[in-house]
Amino acid sequence: MSTDPLLRLEDVAVHFENEAGLLTDESEVVQAVDGLSLSIEENDVVSLVGESGCGKTTLGKTAIGLQRPTAGRVTYRGHDIWSVRDGESDADLSWQEIRQSLQIIHQDPGSSLNPNRRILSILSEPLRQVNPELGTSERRERIYSLLERVGMSPAQDFADRYPHQLSGGEQQRVVLSRALLMNPDVILADEAISALDVSLRVEMMDLMLELQAVFDTSYIFISHDLSNARYFTQHGDGKIGVMYLGQLAEVGPAEQLIEDPQHPYTSVLRWATPDLAAVDTPPQELPMRKIDVPDPIDPPSGCRFHTRCPEAREHCRQTDPKPVPAEESSVRCFRAQSTSPYWDSEPLEEND
Amino acid sequence: MSISSDVLNEPQDRDAIIRMDDVSVTYDSGDSYVLDDVSLAIERNEIIGIVGESGSGKSMLASSLLDAVPDPGQLSGSVEYRPVQDQNVEVLALEDSELRALRWEEISMVFQGAMSSFNPTMKIKEHFIETLEAHNAPVETGLNRAHELLEDLYLKPGRVLGSYPHELSGGMQQRALIALSLVLEPDVLVMDEPTAALDLLMQQSILLLLRELREKYDLTMVFITHDLPLVASLADRLAVMYAFELVELGPASEVINTPTHPYTRALLNATPNLNAPLSEMRPVKGKSPAPINVPSGCSYHPRCPLDTEECRTNHPPADPVTPEHTAACFHWEEARTEISLNYAETGTNDGDWR
Repeated sequence: MSTDPLLRLEDVAVHFENEAGLLTDESEVVQAVDGLSLSIEENDVVSLVGESGCGKTTLGKTAIGLQRPTAGRVTYRGHDIWSVRDGESDADLSWQEIRQSLQIIHQDPGSSLNPNRRILSILSEPLRQVNPELGTSERRERIYSLLERVGMSPAQDFADRYPHQLSGGEQQRVVLSRALLMNPDVILADEAISALDVSLRVEMMDLMLELQAVFDTSYIFISHDLSNARYFTQHGDGKIGVMYLGQLAEVGPAEQLIEDPQHPYTSVLRWATPDLAAVDTPPQELPMRKIDVPDPIDPPSGCRFHTRCPEAREHCRQTDPKPVPAEESSVRCFRAQSTSPYWDSEPLEEND
Repeated sequence: MSISSDVLNEPQDRDAIIRMDDVSVTYDSGDSYVLDDVSLAIERNEIIGIVGESGSGKSMLASSLLDAVPDPGQLSGSVEYRPVQDQNVEVLALEDSELRALRWEEISMVFQGAMSSFNPTMKIKEHFIETLEAHNAPVETGLNRAHELLEDLYLKPGRVLGSYPHELSGGMQQRALIALSLVLEPDVLVMDEPTAALDLLMQQSILLLLRELREKYDLTMVFITHDLPLVASLADRLAVMYAFELVELGPASEVINTPTHPYTRALLNATPNLNAPLSEMRPVKGKSPAPINVPSGCSYHPRCPLDTEECRTNHPPADPVTPEHTAACFHWEEARTEISLNYAETGTNDGDWR
C-alpha cells in the first residue's frame, strides 16, 4: 500500500452528453477528457496547461472528486474514491474525509465568498468542521495567525471585514486560507492567479508555495499561461502536463518541457508566451495551420492535433500516436518515435 | 547621444491623430482624481500600448478619448481629433449627435468580454446590419466589408454571421467583435483589454491579426492592458500608467530594453518570464494608491527604493530620456543602475552606461 501515490487517475474519461434539444435531433457527446492517466504524489506540484476547452478544468475536478469519470478510476491512497462514495469499498475511509482532503480554489474568489459574512465567520466554518473541539477564542487565534501568515495584517482588522471590502488579491488569500484550514492533501488551483494583475501573480504563487511547505499539501495548478506554470512548477519541483482536446500531449519536468519541447503543440504554447527579451522580434507568423480548436464533439481522427499541427503528415491523420513514456516524461507524438512510419509519410496539404 | 533640440521642443509637430492635453477626470466635486493631467499625442498609424494595473486609470483614459466618462465624473482638458493633418476636431466640445457619429465612424472601441457587447438574442449578422443602419451606411456594401474583415480574422464569414453569439467560442466572439468595430471604416481602434478573457494562445493569435489589420486598413490602434509583456511585441510605443498618471512613455523596444521609471522596472521584474532566472522574479512591494489617497509629490514614492525628500514634496515632470522617451522621475538615471532587471538589459551590463 505504501507505494500508492496520493492521487492516481487511471485511463480516466469524462464524456458529457448534450441532450437532444429543439435545434438538434441527435444527442451529442463532448469528450472533455479522454483516456488519461496521471499521478500526484505527496507535496507534489502538477500543472496543467492548454487552451480554453482543452479539458484541464474537467480533469482537475475529476482528480479531486468533484466530477465523476465516465470511465477509468480515480484512487486516493490506493482507494477508488467512487467506490468509497457508493459504499462499495472496504477502505477505512469516508467520502467526507476524501472530499475534505481534496480542496479547490477558483479563478474568481469574489464569487466563492459569501458576501454577507465577515472573513472571521467565513474562516470559522472549515475549522469547526475539521476541529470541532476547538473553543471560540482558540478558533479566532488560529484564524488570526493564519491571516498574518498570508500577509493580511493586522489580522483582526481584516477578519472583521466583508469580502467586498477586500481587493482581488486579498480575497484570493482568504480563499486559499479557507482551503488550507481543511488540512487538505491536494489543492486544485483552477486559474487561481489569472484574474490578478500581472504584478501580483508572482507574490500569490510565492505564498502558495510557502504554505505548501507549512501545510504539507500538493497542488494541481491549472493555467493557460506557460510562464506562470513554469514559475509555479519549477519552484515546487513538479511537472507540467500539456493538454489538448482532452488528452495529454506531453508531460515532463518544467524546465525540460519548456527548454526542449517534444510535442509541436508544446512549441506552439511556447510561441504564445510573451518574451520580453524578444520585444524587437515580434512573432511573425501563426505557427499553426488553424487558429481555432476543433469541436470536441467531433475530435479529429488520428492525432487530435493534426488539423492544426505545422508538422502534420498523412500518417497523423490516420493513426493515433500513443503516449511514449520516457524517464520522467511522456510525449504523444510520432516525431518522438524515430522509427515511426510518420517519417516516410507525405506532409498534409494546407487545408486538411 | 545627440538630442535634436527642435524635436525636443516641438514634439507636437509629429503627425498626431489624437492629442490629449492636460486631461483630468475627477469625482466628488474635484476631490478625487481618476485621471490626473494626462497629455499624450497618439500618432497616425501607430499601435500604442497603454499599460497599468487595475485602478491605475487606464480605462478612464480610453473613455476620455471619446468623451464617454461615466457619470458623475468630470472631464477637463482637451482632446483633439485630427482626421487629416491640419484639421482639428475638439472632441469634448461635440454635440451628442456628432459624438455618436465620431464613436463608430472615426474612433471605434472594443471592450473585454464580447459576450456582454453582443445581444444574445440576435445573430451576428443582425448586429452588423443594426450598426450599419444606425449610421445610415449602405447595408450591402457594409456586409461585403464584414465578410472581408471576418476572413481577415480567420473566421468563416457565412458560419459566423449566421450564428448566435453563444454558438461561437470566446476567441471567435472577440474576433467577430473586432470585425464589427471596423465595419464603418474607422481610422482609430481603441481596445480596452480586448483579449484578457481569452487563453494566451488565442491572445497572441489575435495580436498577430491586429498587426495585419493595421497594415491593411491603415489603422491607428490604442491597446489598453494590464499585461505589459503581452502588448510589448505588438505596440510601437508603450505608455505606462501609475496612480492615474503617465509615468513613462517611449518606443516599445526602449521601454522594455532600457526601462527607466522605477515603477516600470519593478513591474517588469514582477512578471513571470520564460527566460528569466526564477530567483530574480519578485513582486512589486506595497500597494497602488486609491483615488482619494494619492501621495504628495511623486505618487510612487512610498513604494520606491530611490525616494528622497524631493520626491515627497515635488511632482516630477516628464523628463526626456531620449528624444522619444520620457520618464516622470527625478532619479531615472540612478534607477537604471540601482534597480537591476531580471532579464538581459541592453547597454547597462558592464556599467559603462553611466
